[in-house]
Amino acid sequence: MKGSKQVFVLLSALLVLSMLLNACAPAATPTPEPPVQQVAPTLPPVVEEPTATPVPAAEGITKMTFWHSMSGDVGGKAIPQMANAFNSSQDKCYVVYTYQGTYDDSLNKLKAGLQSGDTPSVIQLFDIATRLMVDLDVATPVQTYIDKEGYDVSDLEPNVLAYYTVEGQQYSMPFNSSTPMLYYNKDAFVKAGLDPANPPKTFDEFTEAARKLTIKDASGNVTQYGGAFAVYGWFFEQLLAVSGGFYTDNENGRAGLATKATFNTPEGVAILDWWKAMYDEGILANYGRTTVDTRSAFIAGQTAMILESTAALRGLMDSSKGKFEIGTAFLPRPNEAAYDIAGTVIGGGSVWIIKDRPQAEQDCAWEFIKFLASPEQQAYWQTMSGYFPIRKAAYENQLSVDWRATYPQFQTAIDQLHAAPNNTFTQGGLIGVFPTARQTIEGAIEEALAGKGTSQEILDKAAETITLAIEEYNVSMGLTP
Amino acid sequence: MDYKLKRTLTNTVLYIVLIVVAILVLFPIWTAINISLLNDSQVAQYPPQLVPTQFSLRNYAHALEQAPLLRYLFNSVTQSTLVMLGQLVTACLAAYAFAFIDFKWRNVLFLVFLATLMIPWEATIIPNYLLIKKLKWDNTFQGLAVPFMATGFGTFLLRQFFLKIPKELHDAAVMDGCGSFRFLITIVLPLARPALGTLAVYSFLQTYNQYLWPLLITNDQTMRTVQIGIALLQDEERFMFNTVMAGVVFVLLPTFILFIFSNRQLIRGLTAGAVKG
Repeated sequence: MKGSKQVFVLLSALLVLSMLLNACAPAATPTPEPPVQQVAPTLPPVVEEPTATPVPAAEGITKMTFWHSMSGDVGGKAIPQMANAFNSSQDKCYVVYTYQGTYDDSLNKLKAGLQSGDTPSVIQLFDIATRLMVDLDVATPVQTYIDKEGYDVSDLEPNVLAYYTVEGQQYSMPFNSSTPMLYYNKDAFVKAGLDPANPPKTFDEFTEAARKLTIKDASGNVTQYGGAFAVYGWFFEQLLAVSGGFYTDNENGRAGLATKATFNTPEGVAILDWWKAMYDEGILANYGRTTVDTRSAFIAGQTAMILESTAALRGLMDSSKGKFEIGTAFLPRPNEAAYDIAGTVIGGGSVWIIKDRPQAEQDCAWEFIKFLASPEQQAYWQTMSGYFPIRKAAYENQLSVDWRATYPQFQTAIDQLHAAPNNTFTQGGLIGVFPTARQTIEGAIEEALAGKGTSQEILDKAAETITLAIEEYNVSMGLTP
Repeated sequence: MDYKLKRTLTNTVLYIVLIVVAILVLFPIWTAINISLLNDSQVAQYPPQLVPTQFSLRNYAHALEQAPLLRYLFNSVTQSTLVMLGQLVTACLAAYAFAFIDFKWRNVLFLVFLATLMIPWEATIIPNYLLIKKLKWDNTFQGLAVPFMATGFGTFLLRQFFLKIPKELHDAAVMDGCGSFRFLITIVLPLARPALGTLAVYSFLQTYNQYLWPLLITNDQTMRTVQIGIALLQDEERFMFNTVMAGVVFVLLPTFILFIFSNRQLIRGLTAGAVKG
């Protein structure tokens, strides 16, 4: 009797302890790394007006829903601001916006909602959900509306449109677009005797610069790494694209259905070899998969060059203020010649119209999408979020002009976008299992860095895994090449 | 003398261990509070600043501006309280039946109850969701709380505790004409306070930490819960740790209050039982 009571006491104590740990879980989520920070947003005052309390929808107005995955100031201020502007700009449609967690959460919720009719009129999803959305057949292609209205797309960025074009149809409208670029610490460049106006263009130049930028203290410990890449599948995809490599067969699945992964070609192997060689030499740091950690290290002066999305520019600029000057450059390529044949792939997200909503709602959805794509809104969006505008006219908007004056480094992003030829390299891979593929690649990079085999062996294995996933996906969706 | 020295030594070791454990447990909480008070440039420093040099609620204001955390807090506390009360009631009744009432298939039924512990929540989330949608309970408190009101774990926990209450007590009470319900209320429950407290805290925190379920069944801003609010603060491209931490500290408050309050209850219950046994 007494013994079992003690056991109970012990069990309860354990339970309480585990609950305590549970309770701490949210607090422990972000890593204790020195975090990235930005100073209060330095926005042109025009857009700083407080997000107005939404006006209630009038009687007889068509209500539509917009699911988005933008958090922070972008989700908390920019999206409400744009939705409110749309609602007061006309009197037929009324948009209700809802944050639905990450893109993955939102996509899962959409899939669950399809069975119960709980779907939005417009959903924002990431680039890599494109193939899946097309195969699920849940969206009304925006092409339908473009054709019906003769909507002029000539001002929209062709490369951005191309990413979301499947089988000749514009399926979704790009909304938040970004590409990766090279960010470097100009002050560190000067100290290392490098020319800050002449950042590395090729893999070899990058290695050379990283070597010079690496600083060791008296006892041989590295105090500043030349560079650091987050272990992020997206960077590998982008480096592969600028090298002129295909992620899958049938030209990235753009010329026909993708049936197998092909990133284990010499282009892919060269990327991993380059990455690993610098890591082994101790001139490239690895801060893990979370890009925030690599950014933090860059801001803290622990590393002098990083790869990061164009959308991170404002945050990086603001938090480096008073510490050092940031330079931006195109993503490095294996050689100079690669600049002519390939370029970066569009990342970010697009907005989709869900087809099981009533016609009136879908029509409103299209109106809303057009509104989001208008030059004024795209300019505002650029200043608030750091994504680049999807149409050229937005650059002439005063907001955008002022913003680029504050952040001149952003010009690199625009130049890189315009320099990229529009071909199947830059359109990027089109497969339904992209989220899984990305994780597989990340695992492969980690294995390579840990020296668990040659780059060729590791990529072969990863390609095999992803090919299998693609095959399963194609079968489950009833797709035949 | 020797004995005294030994005792001092044991105590010293004990306290050192306790202090280390306390630091381990408190450090994440301290970090959260610390970071929530740092300004934007301090938070990006390396090595990190471990003690705030100023007291400013700016980050808290910013967090509240980005997400309606007060409303979310109210929703979460309401949902968690409902689930907690629901679980206590259902688990008490079920555990009582399994512990004191003899009926056919009792053990088999109990095994079935236990088996539900092995079904992962992820497997049932979609059917649950479809049912709630059909009942038109989305965007409501009953939709948030009702699916969690019965618990196999709680029944198991209470049954094990009830079994330790002497059978003679039950027999004597029945002999005096006491019904099952009265026996449960006046005798079993007061004795089972530590177990009830444990279950209450456990179920509250479990519900409070939910993310996917509230995200699935609510679309209305006014029905969202705190964990979604925290997610809303995490800007992918410009991660503002101090704002996020301000939100986290805010969200931790009810849990703290619950813990401080129930901790006393739990310890009192545990020690009372220990002395008597």
